[in-house]
Amino acid sequence: MRDKLSVMMLSWEFPPRVIGGISPHIYFLSKYLAKQDVKVYVVTCDFPGAPAHEVIDGVEVYRVDSYKNPSPDFATWVYLMNMNMQRETAALTRKIADKIDVFHAHDWLVANAGIGLKHVFRKPLLVTMHSTEMGRRDGLHNTTEKMIHETEAWLTYEAWKVICCSDYMISHVKYAFGLPSDKLVMVPNGVNTHCYDGDDDLKDFRSKFALPEEKIVLFVGRLVYEKGIHVLINAVPKILQKANAKFIIVGSGYMKEQLLNIVRSMGLEHKVLFEGFLDEQTLLKLQKCADVSVVPSLFEPFGIVTLEAMAAKSPVVASDTGGLSEIIEHDVTGVKVYPNNPDSLAWGITKVLLDENYAKRIKDNAYKRVQEKYDWEKIAQQTKRIYEGVLGEYSKSFWA
Amino acid sequence: MRTIIFSLEYPPRVVGQLSGYVSALSSQLASSKVDVNVVTYDDSSTGQTQEPSGVKTFRVANPVRTHIGVLNWVLTLNQEVERAAANIYYESNKQVDLIDVYEWHFIPAAVILKNGLGIPFVYSVESLEDHRSPNNANASYNLAIKSIEWLGFYEAARISVKSEWMKDELVRIYKIPKEKITVISTDPGIWIKEVLKLYHSVAEAKKNER
Repeated sequence: MRDKLSVMMLSWEFPPRVIGGISPHIYFLSKYLAKQDVKVYVVTCDFPGAPAHEVIDGVEVYRVDSYKNPSPDFATWVYLMNMNMQRETAALTRKIADKIDVFHAHDWLVANAGIGLKHVFRKPLLVTMHSTEMGRRDGLHNTTEKMIHETEAWLTYEAWKVICCSDYMISHVKYAFGLPSDKLVMVPNGVNTHCYDGDDDLKDFRSKFALPEEKIVLFVGRLVYEKGIHVLINAVPKILQKANAKFIIVGSGYMKEQLLNIVRSMGLEHKVLFEGFLDEQTLLKLQKCADVSVVPSLFEPFGIVTLEAMAAKSPVVASDTGGLSEIIEHDVTGVKVYPNNPDSLAWGITKVLLDENYAKRIKDNAYKRVQEKYDWEKIAQQTKRIYEGVLGEYSKSFWA
Repeated sequence: MRTIIFSLEYPPRVVGQLSGYVSALSSQLASSKVDVNVVTYDDSSTGQTQEPSGVKTFRVANPVRTHIGVLNWVLTLNQEVERAAANIYYESNKQVDLIDVYEWHFIPAAVILKNGLGIPFVYSVESLEDHRSPNNANASYNLAIKSIEWLGFYEAARISVKSEWMKDELVRIYKIPKEKITVISTDPGIWIKEVLKLYHSVAEAKKNER
């Protein structure tokens, strides 16, 4: 009998190393693939205090030397880290006697390692493109951005299949790298609804952030241009004219000082709190307390915070762009507003804050939608089917 | 015996002296009944050719056209070198005795092929980053190149140099055990014999490992 399907995931982040959305994505995808009887190895960068090898929920996690010598810049570090990652993964693959069926790379951050390993072991390479340089930067403006873009193009070229998390990303990636349609597959991102289970009394917790008569408006995300946080800040006075609310901003980024200055100049420091990074438990509770969760992004390949808010039963107001457009059904599972438009955003937030019946209806629908469509178990099943499809094609190739 | 040679330069692409050296070496090896496969870089004439001497060449281009520096350029080119070498390996029924790597550029590829496929490599040193950039030896860019040199010395089965002076420099800078370093004579009469002797010792050591 054939051994069970085995996959080697390559990712630059895996918990406890959490930089962006890839880390939880790999964690849940791997865990639920393991439940589907797939043998999963994860190779990722090391992290202080985390072991070099451990088994988490049936997933074999290997943390490799992430290259700690000085490197001239971030992009060069990425390529040097890839050299180390590829070296250790090559030795590991050889040790487990080549029992790897597919390599699965996530984003350009592991492009070199994925491509090299594909050719050295002659196994198919799958790629998930979580984002693109073109999207992150709204175009390509300098040599570094072009280099990263071309590395992404090279990775998608070498991949057997390219997975994207939304139909929006499928069309964006197709355009950005000139890929044929049959190479692209859409598998949505997932959210773990169980971490929001339990009906703890959050009254005391809530009182740390807002007065009882204040509604909580929550933003979670990096404080960078593409996340549209400045649009929310500009909408604050418009909302306060109609509703009493406290705005809680979670996350950090290069725009923080600038945003603080705007809030100060409006004299609204007592209404807008910048919390920086929060630990997971505090964040989960805060998401449950939020009377409205706002996702005002200008560019959003998927928008995982939207799913989190939906799972936490917090009504969502999001800009009608990218992956958000697909997740939210207007007036049914949330409110969609015009991107980069403070008036529209203020309208959406005010509507949810003032109409409790409406808020309840959209958050109940949203919770149901999350369970139906963004469940990790279903996502893992879909992913496994993609692996099996690729292996079927591979078995007829001269590499097999 | 089957060997793969990695060199950034190979005729018609001549930048420094390495090109002529590797060309002479590979044709001499071919006439000594070694199956020689040279993997090298060329921007336009990529693909496989066989020279009248019997030497097979595999030219690869960089899949990433835009770069912010030589180091990044080299690091993305390495995967193409790996691809060419892996193709030679699989098409010769997995029978490759060793890889001879000239300079640091393709050390990452050699290290990965060693760890993944068990092909040992010789690191043939022409110069060191400390000598090439004596005034910038501690800049992060140069330190990164030095770290690749170090990785090559650490992972190589043997290191070959062309002078006793270079051997001393390797011991001084990288603290490499002297026994790991072979000085290849520049005397045209015995030169190729010494290279062959080195290759055989590496291939033998590999066989005994199994």
